[in-house]
This record gives sequence, structure tokens and C-alpha cells, in this order.
Amino acid sequence: MSANSLPTAPPAAGITIRGLEVVYTTGQGQIPAVNGINLDIVGGQITGIIGESGSGKSTLAMAMMNAVPHPGKIVKGSVIIDGVGNMMTLDKESQRRARGRHVGFVFQAAQNSLNPLTRIGHQVLDLGRSHNVKDLRALLRRAKELLERMGMDADRVLTSYQHELSGGMRQRVGIMFALVLDAQIVILDEPTTALDMLSQASVLEIVRSIQEERGLTIILITHDMGVVADLADRVIVMYGGELAEEGKTEDVLAHPQHPYTRGLIRAIPRISGNLDQAVALAGSPPDLQTFVQNACLFYDRCPERMAQCQNHRPPYEIAGPGRKVACFKVMAK
Amino acid sequence: MIEVRHLEKTFPGTRGLLGHDAIKAVNDVSFHIPDGGAVSFIGESGCGKTTIGRILAGLETYTAGEVVMDGQNLAQLPRRQRAVLLRRVQLIQQDPYQALNPARTIEQALTDPLKVIAKERGADKAWIMHRLHEVLELVGLDPDAVIYKYPHMLSGGQRQRIVIARALTVDPSVLVADEAVSMIDVSLRLGVLKLLRDLRERFKISVLFITHDVASARYVGDDGQMFVIYKGRIVEHGLTDEVILHPQHPYTQALLSAVPVLKGLEEPGPDRYIPLKEFGHGQPPEHACAFAPRCPYAQPLCGQEKPELVGTAHQYACHYPKERHVVAVPLSE
Amino acid sequence: MSLAVSTSSSSRPSNGPSGHPSFLKNAWRIIVKKPGRLIGLGIIVLFALMAIFGPYLYPKQLPINPNAIYAPISWRYPLGTDFEGTSNLALIITGARYVLFAAAMAAVFTVVFGTALGLISGYYLGWTDSVIMRITDFILTIPGFPLLVVLSTVWNFGQPVAMGFVLGITGWGGLARAVRSQTLSLRERGFIEAARTLGLSPFHILFREILPNVGSYIAMNLLLAVTGSIYAEVGLFFLGVVPFQVNNWGVMLNLAVFSAGAMSSAQALPYLLSPLLALLILTLGVVLFLDAVDEIFNPRLKEA
Repeated sequence: MSANSLPTAPPAAGITIRGLEVVYTTGQGQIPAVNGINLDIVGGQITGIIGESGSGKSTLAMAMMNAVPHPGKIVKGSVIIDGVGNMMTLDKESQRRARGRHVGFVFQAAQNSLNPLTRIGHQVLDLGRSHNVKDLRALLRRAKELLERMGMDADRVLTSYQHELSGGMRQRVGIMFALVLDAQIVILDEPTTALDMLSQASVLEIVRSIQEERGLTIILITHDMGVVADLADRVIVMYGGELAEEGKTEDVLAHPQHPYTRGLIRAIPRISGNLDQAVALAGSPPDLQTFVQNACLFYDRCPERMAQCQNHRPPYEIAGPGRKVACFKVMAK
Repeated sequence: MIEVRHLEKTFPGTRGLLGHDAIKAVNDVSFHIPDGGAVSFIGESGCGKTTIGRILAGLETYTAGEVVMDGQNLAQLPRRQRAVLLRRVQLIQQDPYQALNPARTIEQALTDPLKVIAKERGADKAWIMHRLHEVLELVGLDPDAVIYKYPHMLSGGQRQRIVIARALTVDPSVLVADEAVSMIDVSLRLGVLKLLRDLRERFKISVLFITHDVASARYVGDDGQMFVIYKGRIVEHGLTDEVILHPQHPYTQALLSAVPVLKGLEEPGPDRYIPLKEFGHGQPPEHACAFAPRCPYAQPLCGQEKPELVGTAHQYACHYPKERHVVAVPLSE
Repeated sequence: MSLAVSTSSSSRPSNGPSGHPSFLKNAWRIIVKKPGRLIGLGIIVLFALMAIFGPYLYPKQLPINPNAIYAPISWRYPLGTDFEGTSNLALIITGARYVLFAAAMAAVFTVVFGTALGLISGYYLGWTDSVIMRITDFILTIPGFPLLVVLSTVWNFGQPVAMGFVLGITGWGGLARAVRSQTLSLRERGFIEAARTLGLSPFHILFREILPNVGSYIAMNLLLAVTGSIYAEVGLFFLGVVPFQVNNWGVMLNLAVFSAGAMSSAQALPYLLSPLLALLILTLGVVLFLDAVDEIFNPRLKEA
């Protein structure tokens, strides 16, 4: 990009998370849904956060915007978004502005985040007004461009109610809402869960191409290793509210180090090759008991556990260039 | 053994402001399921594959065609006999959260059908208890751990196993699995798929596997037949691996392309393509290829004449069939 | 095989920690969670005991005391006395039987008719549904209270069963409609379809699969029907359209207002207030207890 091309695009914004702790208070006690996480989200990349139910991945996403729903509570830690500041210390109004303007959020099953009673176009205008957009006409134009970009009939969509759209279309509308205010960071929470394969592939394709076009920072939260493996530049594996492993996607897929990551990858049935390569992961997802045990969170399901693993949680440490992993076995090597 | 010939199901149209025309959800579908064999139906949601499964399970009627089970034409049987025959086909639904009565314990849910069977065979209470434990062990659950629980105390994977165990109580010869794993945590999916595969091998129970995920269909029935359904019609069918490795129809190719590519382990097939357009609803024209509006290879002829199934063992309905390499290729180590 | 049976049945814990708690145990656990629920239950039990044993506590003919007509509240007469010098407390206690028994009958009629017809109508649909719903609509359009007034001119309501029956017959429409709409949504659920493919009988599906899922709704309606019927019958007696041959809270109200002039003279006030107080406390008990009913019958809230 030449220096005199004005206005220069700012370097893509990243997110720095330090010591983040989110606790849910339930009848059975306090559950650390996110337990002391340190994480750097690199700007201008697609970061995939993968975890199964109970891993705290969605809570982490909400915590990044300081919007953890009740009864969850952020106990400590900081989330610094480049160009915005620390979401934990900003005043409420600046936080609200940051959501939408700087950080776009696409909710799990986007249908729940669309107002069922007003048309999509109307909701675009409402969004613009609440963020003091002067030129609403231009905003609508941008919404239209985005929708057409995603292979939809924009005029039809803007005059529709959410129930008139299919699941895949709603998810695209959700992405449009996240992008229409020119957010540089987009958080996608389970963007393809309710969709079938073909819709999923096209939504992922759209995310990929828009990211390339605009150099966005995208955080993709999912339980599906396939989705991450197809789309993300970096993978972060979460288990029981803590990070288990991270690294470049190709690296992690080809050489997974944490036994959980390895299990997840082996549990994907493949479309070609030997079927018996696929092996199911034993045990069940973490529950209340898991959170309070001294042992490594993955201890109960781990095929490679050692004596040491029973009494301590492994630290999350660097295990190669761009790689981090929390496993005693890996560290011992 | 089930033989289905020229099956057709038309849902009547509705009148009024929001009404729609009659929709042919299933159109001229023929196939047969051999004992212990596997047949998979793949296609997007709304393509009619679910309706076929529901017809076989007796939950839906059909408007034309024949369903022959064990040499008996269903339509010609008296009601009572038909019900007995249809009981041998059990449906495993997509949503294990809906498939179990929240107000009843696992024991109650499983003993109900067992009582019916016991009455027919003159078996006693002890037999019921024995069989209850047996089917639970068959699906890989510890009977004493789950028997007194309510469904909401179990994980998705456990619930789906309970649903399968309940189906086994009536000694079915066919299991119709409709998206049976799509709502289960990914790490637990393969376990349920493996269970279906084992049931085929151990008890010669045939499986009709309905899904949008080609890879899981292959896992359950790589030795069976695969049918690709689009808008109620079969557009391609053949031996599973034959269809996956040598797809001729562009729609099959789109579905295969949609399977996520595992970066670092695989690379995308050279011809991979993902159509961005969602499929429109409504009835396709009778005298055109239904897929033509989304097909990247469509020619003028495709809009004028409907292609028929051609070929011998491997059949496809396309005016311009061409094998394309869309399936991800494993990287050599 | 017999060997396998014996091992499997012996390994089954009869009522161990993994066994599911009995319904009553579970209900009690839920009730004691909040003091309000316990108070509500206490009130309901107290009134039930009054209805059952009340009449045996006093002689058939309640003692009168000409020296204590409209006596104020005292240790001897905790709620004062009436125009004959009979203790108001005794009147309330002996009168509870008719009031509560009629109300219970009415509630049972309402719930049995409403539930059964709602379930059948919602599950079978078609002409069954049409017929039942037309009848329901007809019942709903009947103004229940005025009908009772009219009926009471030709019918002797000396027996609480008769009164309960009439109240129930006119009251089930709303519940039937509500149960039907719940059934309509339940019948599309996966577990009902599963029951059908498993060859379970419609009777089983209706009463073993669907009914438990509308249980909390029905139980709540049962309690509300009880209070509703009490108001209706007390109202009838208050209006004086039914014969005064029984001890009854409504009769007390009527006499207090129209004979004793409780609206204008302060000395008859206890006579007016004691049945009102009884009604108020009973309603309070029902409302407090309703809070627990939802949790007791709602399967999703059950714990291991």
C-alpha cells in the first residue's frame, strides 16, 4: 500500500487478554467458566476458538466485550482492544459505542438477535441511529452492498421480517449487522451450528473472502474442529474454562500436542481414506466436578495421564514457535 | 428388506394471504434397503430426505408409489398388521432433547415398549428388567447409572444412546437415523456413529442414514448405497465410495466441496466450489433441471428439459455429467 | 437366562442413593425450600382438617347464649358471637365442611372434565376436536354465576355434591381449552412420535406421556378452581338465593349484612368479618402454595 493513498487503513486491531476470570454463581456453587486466561488475538487474522459445551468459549467471547450475561460475573482481568482501550475500565457509554463500531458480534443462531417484529432494513436504521450515524442513506447502501456480496437479493432481504428468511440467510444478515458499521473486529459465536453443510460452507466462504478484502480481525467460536480447520489462521483449544493449546492451524492439525486436541482431530470422520483412522474421544464433557478437581482438567478422559497430572494443573507454556500448550507430558519431552 | 418404488409425497397447498401451492416433497424415489445393509440419503435441509424417513417409520403417509416390507405391500395390509410391520422400522430423531419425555425417567421410557412386547410374547417382569439392562449395555451405557435419571440430567450423547436403546427394545430390523448426530458435541459424535455401525455388524440391523454431512454418512455405511436428493428427487446414487470419489452431478460435487478441509492434513480438491446462493423454496418447474438456477455449469438446455437418471450401477440425472475432483486430498506425510 | 435375570435384579438398588426419590419426598423438599410455601401448605391443611373434623368438635346444635348476643371478641368467643350468641369461631369451623367439600367437588369436576376433554381434543384433532371444542365454546359462553342463581330456584343445594357438580360443569371450559393448546404443541414433539412408532397405545400416549407434562398446569388450575368455587358458592349463599338450611360462611355473611346490619352497626362487625377473614386466609394459603406447585410438577426442575 503506497504512503500517499489517503486515508490509510489503520493496522488491524488485536485484542490482549490478561488474567481474565469469569465466575457463574449457581445453586451448586461458583463455577469458574473462564479461569485466568491470558491470550493475544492477533490483528488481521482469523482466530478460531474451539471447545465443546462447558468449555467456556462463549463466555470468553462475551467477556471480550464486557457483556457476560447474568449470573456470570467478570471477577478480574483485563481485555484491551487496540484503538478502544480496556473494556473493563471504560465507562458504560464508551463500551456501548465500541460494540458495533469497533467490535461486531454475530450471535449463535442469529435468529435470536434479530427483532422478529420489524423489517431487517428498519433494524439497520435503528442500529445507525443508536450509534449516531449521520448519513443513514449511506448506511443502507452499505448494508445492501454487503448483502449482495453474500449472494442475496438485498432489496428483498431488507424488506423482510426475520421469519421470512432461512437459517443460512439469517446468519448472513447477522454478519451484515456486524460489519455494517465498519467494525474491524468481528466475533462470530457458533456461526454455523444450526446450518447444514452447504449453508455452512457458503457462510464460511463469505467470512473468508470478506476478511481477506478488509483485513478484518475475526474471532470464530465453534465446537466444530472442521470449521476451524477450514477457516482459521490460528487455533485456540479451550477445555473446562482454560486454554489447552494454541498455534497456527496447519501446525496444530498436523502435529497436535495436547491429548485433547489430538482426540478431537482423530474423532472427525474423514471423507476419504481409511475409516478406522477415526477414533471416538472417550468420556464426557467437563461438568461441575471437573472444575473443582486439583487434577488436570482433562485428567478423567486422558489416555496418556501420568501420576503428576492427578495433583496439579499443568501450566500453559510455550511449546515451540507460536505454540503454547498446557500438558505435563508435552513439557516433559 | 424394504423395497420402495416410485414413492411420492405431496403436501397440499394452503389458501389465503400467506398460502402456498402444493409441494411435492418426495418425487419418484425408488430404492431398497437390504437386511443389515446401509443406505444414506444426503441433501440440504428441506430437500425431502426427512420426509422419506418419516414415511418409512409410519409417521407420514405417501401419496403415490409402493413400500414393500418383507414382501408385503404396506398399502394393501389391514391397519393392525401394518402397524406391527412398521414397528420394525424405528426412527432415531435429530434432536435427542425432544425425543425423550422430560417428565419420565429413563426406566419408564424404556419399559413402556418392553411391556407391550412382553405382553405379546407372554414374558414376565423379570424378562423386562433383563432386557432393559441388556439394551442399555448394548448402547454403551451403565444401566445402574442412568436408569433412574430424567433426560435433562444426561448429556446429548447419552440421550441419543438412550433413544437408540429405546428403539432396540422392539427388535427393529431397520433404524432410520435422521441427522442423528448433528446436535451432539463433536467429541461424542463419532461414538454414536460407531454404535450405529456396530449394530449393523452385530445384529444385522439395516440403517437408513439421513444427513447433510457426507463424511458421517460414509462412516456409517461405506459399503452401502448413497442417494443424493435435491428438491424431492434423486439426482445421483451409487455405491458410497463411488459417489464420493467419482461424483458426476454438480450438486453432489457442491455437497462434497462443503465438507470442511482440514488445513495441515488435507488440501482442497482442485475443482472445489461452493455455491453462495441459498436454495429458493417453492416447487421447481416440471420441465427443467431443478438445480439449474444454482448450478455453475448450467447450459440453456438445463432450463428447458428435465434430465432423467442415466447409468447402470452409478446413476445421475444431469445433462452434462462430468467427474470433478472436489473431495479434499490427504497430504502425504 | 434365569441366572442373568437374578443377577440383574439383585444388582438393582431398591431405593439407594441412585434411585429416584418418591414423589412425596420430592414435593416436601421443594415445599420446605421457602417458608411461604410451608405457611401456605399449613393453612390449606388446617382448613382441610376443619372441614373433616370440624363438625365433630361441636354438638350438632351449636349452643346459644342469650346473654352474649353480638358479644365482642373475648377469650371465650375469639371471634365474637352472632345474633343468637353462638360463637362465630364455632360457626366458621362447622361451616367449613360444606364450603370446602363443595369447592373440592367443583375443582375435581373441573379438572377431570377439562383435562380429559382437552387432552382428547388436542391429540385426536379432526371431528373429535371440532365437536368437543364447540361444546367447550358453548360452556364458556354460559354465564356461570347467573345460571347458578337461576338453577338454585328449582334445585335444592342442600347437598354440597350437587353444588360442586353444578360449579364444575360450568367451569371446565377454560381449562379444556388451555390443556388442548398445550397438547397441540406436545403432540408434535419427538417423544410422542417415538411413542407412536414404538406401537404404544393412544391411551398410554395421552395419560402417561402427555399428561405428566401438563401436570403443573393442571395442579395450578385445580387450586385456582378451589378458590374460584368457594367465592361462587359463598356468593350464592350471601345473595340468599339458596335455602338457609346449613351452617355456611355465605349464610353468615348474608345474615350479618341483611339481618344484623353489620354495615351500619359496629357491634355486629365481628360477625361480618369472621367469614371474610376465613376466606382471606384460605385464599392466602392457596396463593402461597401455588408457588411450590409449579416446581413440584415441572419435570425440568426435578433434580437427582
